[in-house]
Amino acid sequence: MDRDTWLEIFHTVLSNPLRTGLTGLSIALGIFILVVMQGLGAGLETGVKQTFGDDAANLMEVETGNAQLAFRGRKPNRRVELHNSDEQAMRSQMDSVPAWSRLVYRWGSTVRYGNEQGSYGLRGVDPDQREIGQVNMTAGRFVSDRDIDQRRKVAVIGGQVLADLFPRGTKPEQAVGSLIQVRGIQFAVVGTFNQTGSRWENRSVYVPFSTAQKLFSNSDVVSRVAIGTGEASIDDTRETTTSLTGWLKDRLVVHPDDAEGVWVDNRNEQAEMYRQIFGGIRLFVWFVGMMTLLAGAMGVANIMAIVVRERTKEIGVRKALGATSGSIVAQIVQEAVFLMLISGCIGLLAGTWLLQGIAPFVEHDFFSDPRVDFRSALLALGVLIFVGVISAIGPALRAVSIRPVEALRDE
Amino acid sequence: MIELKSIRKAYQTGSQSLTVLKGIDCTIEEGELVAIMGSSGSGKSTLLNVLGLLDDFDEGSYVLNGQNMDGLSEKAAARYRSDFLGFVFQSFNLISYKTALENVALPLYYQGVPRKERQARALSFLTKVGLADWAEHLPNQMSGGQKQRVAIARALITNPSVILADEPTGALDSVTSDEVMALLKEINGEGITIVVVTHENEIANQCDRIIRLKDGRIEGANA
Repeated sequence: MDRDTWLEIFHTVLSNPLRTGLTGLSIALGIFILVVMQGLGAGLETGVKQTFGDDAANLMEVETGNAQLAFRGRKPNRRVELHNSDEQAMRSQMDSVPAWSRLVYRWGSTVRYGNEQGSYGLRGVDPDQREIGQVNMTAGRFVSDRDIDQRRKVAVIGGQVLADLFPRGTKPEQAVGSLIQVRGIQFAVVGTFNQTGSRWENRSVYVPFSTAQKLFSNSDVVSRVAIGTGEASIDDTRETTTSLTGWLKDRLVVHPDDAEGVWVDNRNEQAEMYRQIFGGIRLFVWFVGMMTLLAGAMGVANIMAIVVRERTKEIGVRKALGATSGSIVAQIVQEAVFLMLISGCIGLLAGTWLLQGIAPFVEHDFFSDPRVDFRSALLALGVLIFVGVISAIGPALRAVSIRPVEALRDE
Repeated sequence: MIELKSIRKAYQTGSQSLTVLKGIDCTIEEGELVAIMGSSGSGKSTLLNVLGLLDDFDEGSYVLNGQNMDGLSEKAAARYRSDFLGFVFQSFNLISYKTALENVALPLYYQGVPRKERQARALSFLTKVGLADWAEHLPNQMSGGQKQRVAIARALITNPSVILADEPTGALDSVTSDEVMALLKEINGEGITIVVVTHENEIANQCDRIIRLKDGRIEGANA
């Protein structure tokens, strides 16, 4: 590749600006559509994950509700409750689990610091909740085993609670050690956390489960049990879900067909579903993008075929002057790849620019931060080069088959 | 320099086979200026294409510069063309979007010569044909005679052993024709073998020897 090679490429590409422009446009449009759709898909994925994915995906949750069916002499439409004894029995009959956290909730709990107060979600939890809820600590520590044993009045507060109640500019470390009033009872702040991208997580206060149950619940009811499933496969968690549901229904006297009395929510299922949905979306995006690119590639193949036809004589002369078939093929492939790459990059830049431009205006619960990841961009460029070469092969072979004799014959 | 023995060549047109060269025997010595004459259809263009390795032949043998040219691959033919042969065409066949200098330099591009050296050598050959001042002009800004001189410079730039000229004056008036022939004779004087295909007697008569073709056979040769 020296300057003459480039001059030849420019000459071919610029000899018919309209034709080249239209072909380039179809390539640019193909990449543009691919990039924008890919970015929107990524935005949808990010948004959905932020809204639903604030907990770990490898998780099962046990909850009770209202049993709908009469069973073993119990009336229909009765409240089913999970007591501490049930929770202990459940734990002891299960194999070892990577993480286990009891939860008790009190929504709309008033929290006060100094003269400031607000209404926040109160969660009594076990230490494992940090792992299960993927709590991102910003200062101090989370609820500990000793807190549980001693029913300490300690609290871990969310970023929004900190921002609302403490003076402007208070750093997380500075809040640790402060005393706050939770539902009128004094608690010591031992830690703070911040859940990026989670709107209501940050409006929560974590306290030890034992403390919360004693002070705020007046009973030994467990609202929910969260069980981490670690590295278990989706099939294993399905099996566990089924057997655990059966065991719980038997113990809590709920009809086997009752859908509401007690349920085990396998988050792995949801994660699997999301994975499949987004896998499908990605596949669809690439399929549409590839088809558009294919249409563009046909345009390039067409332009190269015309160029070869127009230059039959010139190619004959070049052969007489010592050009090998290889050098003729190389020239045509270079021209096609050049055309593809330039217009592809324009499409790539335009798409990236559009996504960046609209990103701030399209924040939504299910849509956030649309972006093109670097790998996809590289892949798109790779595909462009590949398609460029493919589209040039036909015309290049025709150029090679030109016999100098026929090309040079004067009419 | 060139040795042809019983060269036969037939073209397949549909189901019919048309024999164009029916056994050509001839020898062209190094440094000769030879004219090939014949009416259209006599096979003179085909013979030139065979000589120029632009077309293959069916039977016989062709020795160029002591090397057998039998059954060459396309790649090998391209290399021999590039190393031994220079071409001059009736319609010049300059590349229209390249300047005179770039046209002259083109064969060196295919030999992988660096650009700077290509340009320098091209300029010296343009000077040789008297067109140094026209180096940056495009072919369509030049007269027919000038274009043919550029084409001759292009044929010379690889220092070929043989120059094959197909009706080099066919598109030129008589004055320019004489200029081009004078140039060819001058080059011949430097020891380069030249084969000129022509149908004009005045041109042929300026050559050392005339090979006359008729119906694919050599009619007779005179000195």
